[in-house]
Amino acid sequence: MESINLNHLFPTKTSNFAKDEIFDVAVVGAGVVGCAVFKEFCEQGAKTVLVEKANDILDGASKGNSAILHTGFDAPPDTLEHKCVQRGYEEYMKIKDDYNLPFLNTKALVVAWNDEQLGKLDAILQKGLGNGVKELDLLTHEQIMRKEPNLSLDAKGAILVHGESLIDPWSAPLAYVKKGINCGGKIAFSHEVKDGHHNGKYWELQTSQKPINAKVIINAAGLYGDIVDKIKGTQDFKIIPRKGQFVIFDETAYNLINSIILPVPTKRTKGVVITKTAFGNILVGPTAEDQESRTDSQTVKETLEDLKTKAFHMLPALKNHKVTATFAGLRPASDETYYRVSINDEKNWITAGGIRSTGLTSSLGLAKHIFELHNTRYEKNPKADEKVTVPNISEFAPRDNQKEGYGKIVCHCECVTEREIKNACHGELGAGNIGGLKRRTRAMMGRCQGFNCEAAVTQICKNEVKNHE
Amino acid sequence: MNNIQIAIIGAGPAGLSAALELKKLGYDDLLVFDREDEAGGTPRHCGHLGFGMFEFKRVLSGPDYAKKLAKLAIDSGVNIKLKSTLTKVENGVLTFSTPEGIKQYKPTYTLFALGARETPRPDRLVSGTRSPNIITTGALQRFAYLQKIKPFERAVIVGSEIVSFSAIMSAKHAGIKIEAIIEEKDEIDSFCIIKYMVKYLLKIPVLTNTKLKNINGEDKKVTSVSVSTDEGEREIPCDGVIFTGQFTPESSIMQKSFDDFNFSNNSLYISQNFQAKDDGFFVAGNVLRGALAAFKCYFEGKKVAKNIHDFIRFKHQPELIKIEADENISWYYPSMIDLKSPTKQHLTALRLKRRAKGAIKVLLNGRMIYKKNIHAFPFMSINIPWKDIELKPKDEIKLEFVSS
Repeated sequence: MESINLNHLFPTKTSNFAKDEIFDVAVVGAGVVGCAVFKEFCEQGAKTVLVEKANDILDGASKGNSAILHTGFDAPPDTLEHKCVQRGYEEYMKIKDDYNLPFLNTKALVVAWNDEQLGKLDAILQKGLGNGVKELDLLTHEQIMRKEPNLSLDAKGAILVHGESLIDPWSAPLAYVKKGINCGGKIAFSHEVKDGHHNGKYWELQTSQKPINAKVIINAAGLYGDIVDKIKGTQDFKIIPRKGQFVIFDETAYNLINSIILPVPTKRTKGVVITKTAFGNILVGPTAEDQESRTDSQTVKETLEDLKTKAFHMLPALKNHKVTATFAGLRPASDETYYRVSINDEKNWITAGGIRSTGLTSSLGLAKHIFELHNTRYEKNPKADEKVTVPNISEFAPRDNQKEGYGKIVCHCECVTEREIKNACHGELGAGNIGGLKRRTRAMMGRCQGFNCEAAVTQICKNEVKNHE
Repeated sequence: MNNIQIAIIGAGPAGLSAALELKKLGYDDLLVFDREDEAGGTPRHCGHLGFGMFEFKRVLSGPDYAKKLAKLAIDSGVNIKLKSTLTKVENGVLTFSTPEGIKQYKPTYTLFALGARETPRPDRLVSGTRSPNIITTGALQRFAYLQKIKPFERAVIVGSEIVSFSAIMSAKHAGIKIEAIIEEKDEIDSFCIIKYMVKYLLKIPVLTNTKLKNINGEDKKVTSVSVSTDEGEREIPCDGVIFTGQFTPESSIMQKSFDDFNFSNNSLYISQNFQAKDDGFFVAGNVLRGALAAFKCYFEGKKVAKNIHDFIRFKHQPELIKIEADENISWYYPSMIDLKSPTKQHLTALRLKRRAKGAIKVLLNGRMIYKKNIHAFPFMSINIPWKDIELKPKDEIKLEFVSS
């Protein structure tokens, strides 16, 4: 019997550049924002390195979200968030086919469940129109029921937001990083930035592995954004992690709704959403719980029960379906609601902090914005227009199990093939931990949660890692 | 598209014994499909003894039993298509993903023998950290017996159904120390002799009346579990948690594909002949109700094979009425009665969700027509006889449990 620590199935990654290499730009943090910024700077021709504390991308805030591509209809008007959400949406639409990224325009309904909320719909509509989102309709109770026959009869009225759509929150950032690498960008995984100083010419960042030198630092450190920001000498904001718990229902529930069901938002949060996912489930969440800890993403039974109850009120037929997964994500909210994006020219430092929500949609727009802030000309990378693709793991396009020669299906619930798992173990952008493997393949994420496949997946990964040592 | 006479989905005890029996009855246009790369079903990874006594008059381990059953089937000419995952059932057409590409079959008769799985952590809504070291008995068995991997050192077992005993044996096989078995109820969920064996022979604490409050740990590691009892809360250090039991049918494909799904059983409605409402579909084995012993599935497989044979021979046209059940009942079957069936002397078996004293009642169109006083444990089956009950088409039958 061989003892295997499932948390260390994959070896710690090292970087493939010289110690004295001086980069134009170092992006700290490989969350969705960091990945998009990395792509943008690499394409623009800057010599860029992506520095990440974890052994994989998306290991912090970006691993758990509701996976919606937002139109920005309810964004705070005339803010950077508003601008970047819309620009990010446009950018995603431009590149999705090239990258083999999924997109499903399900539309969303902002549903009013009582008279008070009903009274707020008109203001939301006006705000949306003001935000430049033209495709909005007010729906009556009867119109809602025709569109969403399974929804509770308590739905009083709604706004139909045509543009709201679903994407795959894990493959998109993976594609961004892949593109950056293809343009010559470097990655340093398992390099936790500890400190740094400017030597008059460039920044020297001390990390848990080798030091990293770069002329400009872009801080996209998410939940650690304020800590990394201190390195430049001043701290302009404080991260207040906001936990969001989610409940995912089995694929049997997938057809209960057609659109994303949004609540009438409050000042503080967008509220609890019911939506399909790109992986064929129904997702309910998130909650919004402020906390001190940057790492504690424990779920709480009572909160999960409360989420279920709320969802059953809105969508009674959901009662007949099993819960496939529960999880909590941490959003890097700050002491203010707006994005904390700023440039300090003197210090050669750009901060992209407090991207508490909407980061998945806004990231590509934010990346463009940050490049404009940076205001430096490079010679455009000759590979900037080359295509890179990532494997499709969504239900919106044919998956690997529909193409012959895949070996066998290992994860039966999610139909993940041996070929997919093996491929996800390899290369510079191969999985760095079990979470990363799940996000690349969906293995073990289904209704049986590894009852059938966890042992087999472990065995395959172990062998793949060994064969490639 | 291939037209075939009979398709059996699932090469476990129920599916294979049905195939063997049908073969014996002379059916050659028959295919068995399984998603795994070997036949045998769940016993393949139940490494302990206790299989085959009734079927083969021998005591076998799960893997030996699975091998024997698979060999019997293959030797008698049953064609088993492995690595075939059923992804869709539509208009009588079965779509499979296979390594050779998508395959479609249109059978005249289809038997679902899809088996069951344990309820993993998410559907139990447990507080705490997430970790790959939080698993089910099934996963532990596969680690220990199929892959020879020891995933952690010391674990707590949650739940005390008979399968938790298998979790202990699998852990022992892998060299994992079991710190405790915890059970929310005030007594264990299986025959009490098991409790004494575990407690005194294996020296593992069996903590009844003990709730799992939280799985502690950060960064995908488990460090301990917090449990609460009447005396208060305490922590049990461990690096793994094994959730056992609460078996649920592996029925998602049926729930997705058929309009009329029985949510109390998490399976299709089936008659005393194991026939579903939709023409040509049959269901047998643990996909009807969660886990019963392999031999029960084996004999059920034989029975359903004979029923399919009768359907074909007599061109049987059923007349079906449904039986519903209240929320105290964890499962019951048959869940329909075929009024035209020659099998009249049949029973509906049911189990309760909790240990309870009271009466099982049968309501016919709202009127009580049968009552049985019981004191039942959740692992005991209760039978309701139908032979003296006159039924007509469109009758409405409901099973109720009223505690006393």
